[in-house]
Amino acid sequence: MGRGRVDDVFAALGDPARRALVRAIAERGDATATELAAGLPVTRQAVAKQLALLGEAGLLRATRSGRETRYAVTPGPLHDAVAWMVEVGAEWDERLAKLRGTAARRSSRRPRA
Amino acid sequence: MEVEREITVPSGPDEVWDSLTEAERLEEWFANEVELDPREGGRGVFRWADGDERAATVRELEPERRIVLDWDDGGYVSIELETVEDGTRVRVVETAPDFASALELHACAWAAVA
Repeated sequence: MGRGRVDDVFAALGDPARRALVRAIAERGDATATELAAGLPVTRQAVAKQLALLGEAGLLRATRSGRETRYAVTPGPLHDAVAWMVEVGAEWDERLAKLRGTAARRSSRRPRA
Repeated sequence: MEVEREITVPSGPDEVWDSLTEAERLEEWFANEVELDPREGGRGVFRWADGDERAATVRELEPERRIVLDWDDGGYVSIELETVEDGTRVRVVETAPDFASALELHACAWAAVA
């Protein structure tokens, strides 16, 4: 595997929205842009664009199904490393957002010194 | 292999430090059930709603600056605080657990994919 490929993978996974998509597809087995957009505050087109980018990086495999393209996560040499990074990265994104939320609530209740 | 994340929290490092070291506060954002003895060499147990449980030992603890936990299943997590203009910057680094444990931990989620 060339260096370029590895960089593509990490660049593709550098974005929290794209990590969330990979995670959502992994959980479902496979999914279309329409299915994924249904649970998100973004358009199908925006999701389709991110899926295409993840496909180009070799992280997703696309299969035509009627008028739609179904995406599944590509097993491969980076599979376990990517699985770990996606999972743990997504966990920390969620945890830190919660941490910021709880701290903000506390600060707003407390008069500033 | 590691994951690194950074966020700025709109409160002082003293406030954020409590959220990192008091079990009751940790239960608001880190895990569903937390036991932690916040001193170097102290033990921590973290349980999540999905049944996952991880135990750790506090390797380093510098109040309002830095805490490092060594996970029993390999790898560590380091959380560093830095005062910035609009609050406190929280920087997290987590390294991968032992490879076998990682495979086991994620085997369920990824079984459908392989």
